[in-house]
Amino acid sequence: MAEARKSMVKIKPKKYKVGDVVKVDFIVIHPMDTGTTKNKKTGKMKPAHYIDNITFSFDGKPFTTMKVWESISTNPYFSVNYKITGKGKITVDYTDNQGEKNSKSKKIKPKG
Amino acid sequence: MERRKFIQSIFTASAVAVVGMPTGVFAEEAKKKASKKGPNDMSFDEALKAITSDKGAKESDKIKLTVPEIAENGAVVPVKVNVDYPMEENNYVKAIHVLNKGNGNSRCADVILSPSNAKGYFATRVKLSKTQDVVALVELSDGSFIQTAKSVKVTIGGCG
Repeated sequence: MAEARKSMVKIKPKKYKVGDVVKVDFIVIHPMDTGTTKNKKTGKMKPAHYIDNITFSFDGKPFTTMKVWESISTNPYFSVNYKITGKGKITVDYTDNQGEKNSKSKKIKPKG
Repeated sequence: MERRKFIQSIFTASAVAVVGMPTGVFAEEAKKKASKKGPNDMSFDEALKAITSDKGAKESDKIKLTVPEIAENGAVVPVKVNVDYPMEENNYVKAIHVLNKGNGNSRCADVILSPSNAKGYFATRVKLSKTQDVVALVELSDGSFIQTAKSVKVTIGGCG
């Protein structure tokens, strides 16, 4: 198991009801190296290291999948819409090109 | 005689060294340039072909692409895509592709959506190496493609 990365799943707005369309924001702390930059301390090229696959799922059912490349900024941020259907859990699974696998989830508790 | 030969040999050796030097320097520079190439470089036309499988895409005003006109820092350029299209069971936005025209790898992100997203919306932040166009390419559920492009002025490039 690789080191756990800091990541965050945010639902906007914070208060929502069943049937509302909310934004699901996902932020992760990741270097997203392109493979074309030098390490300033050692002078060696940094190997490419970026997130390549992301899956957003609700209670195990994927609703959005993404394939991304190194042109995404350091500490990437992704945002999609989602229609609340009831209680459950939104999980974001992500892998990078060096084989790291991580996931982060957020409970969905609609009010009213 | 011996002395003359010795001196001659020194001259030829130094001449070879002088001639040999620049080529060595050039080779090193070429190496540097080659290593600047990313692992999965792809031009915009190649990417467009790969995604649309040679069909091409129509320009459309249904896509609202929000990017800054001038980006001071090319390493963090916010990109927002809104598609004005219904998200019903058989009539929805299938995928949003974010592309650029000037980076080594012109593909930024492919987002496969489903009707439960309720809106054709995607936002992220990308790196841009120089002043260039950002393209949003949208695939609809009937298999057709629409696209829109906007140019971004980059003051400081963000790719190394």
